[in-house]
Amino acid sequence: MSLAFLVPLFLLGFAGIVVPIVVHLTRRQRKQVVAFPSLMFLEKIPFQEQRRRRIQHWFLLSLRALALILLAAAFARPFLNQSDLTLAGTSGPREVVVLLDQSYSMAIGDQFERARDEARDIFNDLGPLDRASLIMFGQGARVVARSTSDRILLQAALDAVEVSSSATRFGPALKVAQTVLEESELPSGEVFLLTDFQRIGWTGDEGVHFPAGSKVTPIQFAGDPPDNIQVTDVALAREAVSGRERITPTARLARRGGESAREVMVTLELDGQELQSRPVTLDPNGSAAVTFQPFTLSQPHTRGTVRVEEDELAADDAKHFVLSPGSALSILILEGGPASVDASLYLRRALEISEDGRFSTTYRRTSTVRPQDLDGTDAVILNNTNIDGASAERLRSFVEAGGGVLVVLGEDTGWPGSAADLLPGTLGTIQDRMQGRGGRLGFLEYGHPIFEPFSGPRSGDFTGARFFRVRGFAPSDSATVLARFDDGSVAMAELTRGRGSVIVWTSTLDSFWNDLALQPVFLPFVHRVSEYIGGRAEALPWFDAGQLVDLADPDALKAAGLVSAEAAGLAAGLEQVALTPSGRSLALPAGDGPRYLPLDESGFYTVRPPGSDPDRPFVIAVNVDLEESNLTQLDPEELVAQLTSPAPGPGAGREFAESTTLRREDQERRQSLWRWMLVAAFALLIIETAVSNWVSRRGTAAVAT
Amino acid sequence: MGLARASHAGAHLLDPAVLGRIGNLELLARTVVDGFLTGLHRSPYLGFSTDFAEHRQYMPGDDIRRIDWKLFARSDRHFIKLFEADTNANFSVLLDVSASMGYGSHDVTKLEYAKYLAACLTFFTNRQRDRVGLVTFDHDIVDYVPPSMKHLDTILHLLDRANAAGAGSLKGPMVKITELLGRKGIIAVISDFYEEPDEVIGAIRTLRARGHDIVAFHVMDPAELGFPFEDPSGFEDLETGEQIPVVPARLRDDYTRLVSEHVETLQRRFTDNRIDYVLLDTSKPLDLALFKYLLARERATRKR
Repeated sequence: MSLAFLVPLFLLGFAGIVVPIVVHLTRRQRKQVVAFPSLMFLEKIPFQEQRRRRIQHWFLLSLRALALILLAAAFARPFLNQSDLTLAGTSGPREVVVLLDQSYSMAIGDQFERARDEARDIFNDLGPLDRASLIMFGQGARVVARSTSDRILLQAALDAVEVSSSATRFGPALKVAQTVLEESELPSGEVFLLTDFQRIGWTGDEGVHFPAGSKVTPIQFAGDPPDNIQVTDVALAREAVSGRERITPTARLARRGGESAREVMVTLELDGQELQSRPVTLDPNGSAAVTFQPFTLSQPHTRGTVRVEEDELAADDAKHFVLSPGSALSILILEGGPASVDASLYLRRALEISEDGRFSTTYRRTSTVRPQDLDGTDAVILNNTNIDGASAERLRSFVEAGGGVLVVLGEDTGWPGSAADLLPGTLGTIQDRMQGRGGRLGFLEYGHPIFEPFSGPRSGDFTGARFFRVRGFAPSDSATVLARFDDGSVAMAELTRGRGSVIVWTSTLDSFWNDLALQPVFLPFVHRVSEYIGGRAEALPWFDAGQLVDLADPDALKAAGLVSAEAAGLAAGLEQVALTPSGRSLALPAGDGPRYLPLDESGFYTVRPPGSDPDRPFVIAVNVDLEESNLTQLDPEELVAQLTSPAPGPGAGREFAESTTLRREDQERRQSLWRWMLVAAFALLIIETAVSNWVSRRGTAAVAT
Repeated sequence: MGLARASHAGAHLLDPAVLGRIGNLELLARTVVDGFLTGLHRSPYLGFSTDFAEHRQYMPGDDIRRIDWKLFARSDRHFIKLFEADTNANFSVLLDVSASMGYGSHDVTKLEYAKYLAACLTFFTNRQRDRVGLVTFDHDIVDYVPPSMKHLDTILHLLDRANAAGAGSLKGPMVKITELLGRKGIIAVISDFYEEPDEVIGAIRTLRARGHDIVAFHVMDPAELGFPFEDPSGFEDLETGEQIPVVPARLRDDYTRLVSEHVETLQRRFTDNRIDYVLLDTSKPLDLALFKYLLARERATRKR
């Protein structure tokens, strides 16, 4: 072991001790100067003043010199070089990776604190040449400290971590650990997995395999499963009453564990104010639904929470949601054909029937689209209409700006050739399906938002409808066919242009060419089509923790329920700031690119322009992933068995250890001798100040007497 | 007249108390000091007066009105009758303004003391309708005011503005002053004479050789005479900036001895050259010093 310096150049500072010596030798001259008219007579006197050449205060001089030496040495970053230490008896330095679970289930009892203490012990037990990483994980993995031997850094990182709102996923964290071990030059690796080993976090096909010889030490932190009650869902039924929207919230509760029936109080809060409370009795491992009294929704971005009494696992005891009053879709129906035929009767009636009054229809018998027709209109339905070229061009602009058009083909339907590219294909002739009992719908694209609600069993049956006459339609390459008849001909096709789309329905929506209008599925079908082309996306009342929202994407904002005028700057790319549920501020600087807001915490995220305090800011509700409440445990050994490979032969670590030396920087950082030297130097300077003041006072007093 | 001047720049140099006592001196001098007061200056020229001096043979060009016709009647030769004239004398102050004169160990620096002295002498002399002039010098002439009856204001103004600065030397300025002051007169040299006595005498003798009546006022601070310093210190020469370390306790005796020898040498050498020498201590009242000088001069004049 020898003393070495990390920055020996600073040792040149030793030359600084010349300064106090010179000061001590010369300061007597400068102490007092007397102006005298002439030295004519004084110079004639043979006398040599010798006192000034003598150092009088050796103690002060040594204090000053020592302080300077310590300062210079501290800047040179000294350390005791231990690279020659033998590592006999060890298997060589280790690459230690600590994976610490921060999912919200770790908040049960003192699990997280115990896990943190365990990690602290692991870091304290590191050998002089070991390196360690700290990886926090929930749904994702975050490397807090990577392959460092700086224990102070590791401990500080540990102090800063907290339980998050995310669920457990072992895969990402184990993959990061695998990468750390693979990149490590050290001979052996050891992974400490500190978690409650929830089964939901491990699927078994993560494909993680640690390098050969790596050791995995699972440390489980879990007690008996608590009696946990969670709010699993909140249904928010809307209904229009006297032109205002009323919401009837229904909360679903589930209980895991427990031994006997238990009554809990369920509370509904709106904008932070408690609105209603209802008692509900839950059996062990049972569930229940609570319907609250309806309330009128008048303000946009209204925050709501359904809450049960807090238990050991508090994160799932509340369900947050955000609601805004819905606005009616404005739909323009243009009908052509002879005046004696009301081809839009069923269509209009269907749109008029809605509990929440979400459609506002305008009906005109014309084949011309006027510019004012499209103002404030969300969707246009051309029912058996032969429009002119100018109208088609207006519709083109309308679609590209985000509007939707449904073209219902009939006998009189025509389309100007100049706008042929606006249709998802070309119109053909009328075809009769008089054989048998007519045609049927043979294929529906259930993945499409229009048909997605009908995908489940007993969710609407299109097969009952008979189609006796259809209009031939040849879809273009860029079109998407959404429905086909049983003979393969196109029933419905979509073309997306700009931000909007044009959908063609190749039969009528009345009872002349088919009997779809007489089927029960007609009403929801018309509603879905209208909502789709009108661009209505049902706003999500909440997000799950761990999701991202792109605040620069208008569609994402719409899905997130953005209606407030104050938050309009979001879509315009203006600077915004997001306040997290825990009170942190996240800056969302102005710009054109995507602006992702990570929703890591459960609660309400408020987004507003910086420095402003809007009355109804844009709010996003975030709830925890309820999967995490499932505390069913995994056998740690099962997990370990899938991760590890057999250890390499003995001796490999020893060989490596002999050739490995701890980096000089690491040794210096670990010893931090410079701190002590600085402290000593400052202490010496303080003593020097006190002594020199005392000497100075004593000298003055002696002269005065 | 003194009160009338009080509002003038430089008037503060004319301390009323000092002037009051000088006024008494004047009265005293009027009776006892020949050659210093009004009308009593012994003129170095012969001229018109009531006091007969001598006869001189008439030379062509002499004013025929000055021929002593009575003597012509007796001796049949033309003689001119000469009288010893009472004239308006030229009085010039040569004031040393080198940096060493700026020294003062108490309230008054040597230069301030010298300014008072010069102002008093100048004012007093001018009041007797003598012409007054001023020359300030360090190693060269700094300001020159030729002797005139009307220059008192200018002199007082210049005295007021004079600052001690620069290295001092007598020889150069004295040579130039000798050329400037053509007419014989009374010259007061006020300096601290920080030069070797030989050089001092050598410089002033050139003036004396031109017939000027010279009074040397040697202005010294009490600290220069007694060297009362205690602490070991660096002593810095005001003129050269040179510093030497000094332990005063060890040097005091040698210093005072050297100063005494210097003063004595100057006194002796000035006297040898018929130059009046007055040592002035700036801690002593100015009028007292002047009074002492006038008394001494009066005695000397009586002997003559």
